[in-house]
Amino acid sequence: MSVSEQVPAADSGEPVDHAALLVEIDQEVARRRASGELPADFERDLDLVFARFAPVHAIGDDFGHVLERAESSTFIDVLAPTDSSLPMVPQVKRVVRKAITWDLRHMAQQVTAFASASVRALRLLAERVDALEEASARPASAAASAGGSPDRAPDRDHWAPLVAAAVVGAPGRVLHAEADDGWLLAHLGSAGVDAYGVDPVARTPPAGIELREDAALHHLGALPDGELGAVVLSGCVDRMGLGHQRRLAATARTKVAPGGIVVVIGRDPRSAGRADPVAQDLGGGRPLHAETWAHLLGGGEGTHVLAGPRPPGLRPVPGTPPDLAANLHRLDELLFPPASYAVVARYPA
Amino acid sequence: MVAVHQFLPTFAPRDAIGTHARHARAILRDMGVESEIYADGAPDGGWRRGARPYRTFGWRRSPRDRTWLLYQLSTGSAVAEYLQARPEPKIVNYHNVTTAALFTPWEPHVGVELQEGRRQLAELAPACELGVAVSAYNEAELRAVGVVRTAVAPVLVDLDAGAPDAEVVDRLGAAKARGGSDWLFVGRLAPHKCQHDVVRAFAAYRRLYDPAARLRLVGGVGSHAYATTLERFVHGLGLAGAVELAGSVSQGALRAHYRAADVFVCLSEHEGFCVPVIEAMGAGVPVVAFGAAAVPETVRDAGVVLRAKDPATVAAAVARVLGDGAARASLAAAGRRRAGDFSLARSSARFRAVMQGLLDGA
Repeated sequence: MSVSEQVPAADSGEPVDHAALLVEIDQEVARRRASGELPADFERDLDLVFARFAPVHAIGDDFGHVLERAESSTFIDVLAPTDSSLPMVPQVKRVVRKAITWDLRHMAQQVTAFASASVRALRLLAERVDALEEASARPASAAASAGGSPDRAPDRDHWAPLVAAAVVGAPGRVLHAEADDGWLLAHLGSAGVDAYGVDPVARTPPAGIELREDAALHHLGALPDGELGAVVLSGCVDRMGLGHQRRLAATARTKVAPGGIVVVIGRDPRSAGRADPVAQDLGGGRPLHAETWAHLLGGGEGTHVLAGPRPPGLRPVPGTPPDLAANLHRLDELLFPPASYAVVARYPA
Repeated sequence: MVAVHQFLPTFAPRDAIGTHARHARAILRDMGVESEIYADGAPDGGWRRGARPYRTFGWRRSPRDRTWLLYQLSTGSAVAEYLQARPEPKIVNYHNVTTAALFTPWEPHVGVELQEGRRQLAELAPACELGVAVSAYNEAELRAVGVVRTAVAPVLVDLDAGAPDAEVVDRLGAAKARGGSDWLFVGRLAPHKCQHDVVRAFAAYRRLYDPAARLRLVGGVGSHAYATTLERFVHGLGLAGAVELAGSVSQGALRAHYRAADVFVCLSEHEGFCVPVIEAMGAGVPVVAFGAAAVPETVRDAGVVLRAKDPATVAAAVARVLGDGAARASLAAAGRRRAGDFSLARSSARFRAVMQGLLDGA
C-alpha cells in the first residue's frame, strides 16, 4: 500500500496563492505584536534560555555571557555516570569509579583551582576594561546637557519618510537601533512596515510600537544570521568608538537576509565645528564620514549616500558678480555642510 | 565485465545515503553492471547488508575490467584520499557537505571533517568523469568546484516502504484524542537542522494559538552537544510534556509519526535535498519550511516556504495552514503530487538514465 493511498482523499480546492499567503502571515505577525499578545521580550527570552544551555562556543561573543559560562564550568565532577543498558556493566563501572576516585579527585582539585584562578583573573581584567570604557565614554548627563542632544539621530523629521521609503519591501522585519522614543517606528508603521526598535534607555513607547530595552550591538549579536529584513542604525553610530562602529557594521550586515537593507543615519563630522564643545570633548567616540560607513557596510554598487538638509549659510545678495557668487558657494560648502547623512546599503538577493 | 562500485565513508543501511546506495546497487546490477558497496565503517548491520571494507577493493580486481568508482560524498573521509590515488575513473554522487561553520561551535572535530569534505570534493573534481547531484542546488556546487559533466538525479528513497507501526499509531492517536495539533520534524539532532528553532516557534505557537499542541522531533543524535542542549532547552522552557525527542525510530514507527502529524515544520539552515520533506508531503502532511539551501527546490509550491524563521512568523504560518481547511487540503494535495516526482520508480529511472549515458559514452 502506498503512502498516498493511506491518506484520506481531500478536496484539493484552489491552488494556494503563496505570495498572498506570505503577506497574510506577515500581517498576522504584525497584528499579534502590535496587540501585545506577543510581548516584546518573548523571543529574546527564548534565546536567553537556549544560550543558558548551549556550549560556550555556540552562544555568540557576548563577553559577560561567556565569562559567566566559564565560571560555571570551573567545577570538575569526578563522579562519572555509570548507566548502561548492558547487564552488570553499571556495577562494574561503580567498582572502577570507586577504585580511582581518590586519584581523580586529587587531579580535579588542582584543575578546578587553576580554572577558578584563571576566571578570577579574567574577571579582574574585565573590571579594568569596564573602568577604561567608563572613563572614555561620554557621561549621559553631559550628553543630555549638550546642545542639540547629540545622542539623538539628527534631522529626524527629514529622514523619517526617506528611510521608511528605503526599507519598504525589505525581506523581513525591520529593526531600528537606537530607536529613541520610537520616532522612526511610527513612520514605518504608517508605511505598513513590520518594525521594532531597541534603545538602551527604558522608555514607554506609544501604543502599537514595539520598543525593547537593549543596546544595539548586544541585541544584534544575539540574533540569528539573516533574521531581519532591514536594520536602521542611528544615535549610537555617532558616539561609539571605532572598534564598536566596525563591529556594528559587520554584525548588521550578517543579520539581514539576502536582499536585505542596512541604513545608517549619521552626523557629518565636517559639521562638527557647529556642535556643542562640551559634547565633543566628552564624547567617547566620534562620528564617521558617510563614505566610511559606505565602505564598512560593503554593499558595493547597491550602496548610496543621501545628504541631509543644508543649514542656512552664505548666500550671494542680488547683484553679486558671478565670480564672487561662485566663491561664496564654495565657501558655503566648506563651512556649512549638511549636519547629517544617510547611507543605504542594499545587499543582493 | 563493466563495473561501477560505490564507496561511502559510512554505510548505514537505514539512513538516507545508505538507502540511496542500496537502491543504486540494485539498479546497477539490474543494468547488468557489477556493483558492490565499499565503506570505511558500517554501523547498524551495514557489513551484514553486503558492504565491504574499502581497503579490500584492490585485492581481486582484474585490470581488464571497465570499472568506475562511484563515491557517495557527504563529508570528509579517508575513503576520498584512497579514491584519489586509484587509477580508475571516478563518479561523484554529491549529497552536499554541511557548512562547517554551522557545526564547528558544537562539534569541532566534525567541523574539521566537513572542511575536509569540501577540500576533497575540490581535489576530486578534475578527475571526476561525472558528477551526479541529488538536487540542482548541489549541482551548482559541483560546477563551482570544476566538475565539468554533471547531472541531477534525486535521492533514491522508497516513500511507500513498510506499514505504520500499529502500536505507535495507537499511542500517537491516543494523544491526538486529547486535543491539540501535532507538529513533526524528522532529522538527526544536529545544529544545522536547527531543531531549537522549531522548539522556539513551537513555544510561540502554544502561547498564541494552541496551548495543547505537541511537537515530535524524530531522529538520532548527530551531535551529542547539540542534543544535550536541546533536551535542556526543552526542559528549561517547561515544554517537556509537550515536546517528544523520539530518537531514531523504525521505518514503521516513522510512518506512524507522519500519519499522526498535522504539520511538518523544517527550519534547517542547510539541506542538500531533505528527504523527510518529501516523505511528509507523500503522507499528505502540509509542510512549513524555512527557505534555506536546497529546501525551496525540493518543496517548490507544494508547501509554505518562509523567508524568515523567527518564532512568531513560523507560528503564524502553521496557524494559517492548520486554520484554513481549504489551504491545508490544497497543500496536502500539492504535496502528494510533488512527492510523486520523487517516487522510487521515477528517481530510479532517472538514475539509470544518467548511468547509462555514462556507460554508453565510454
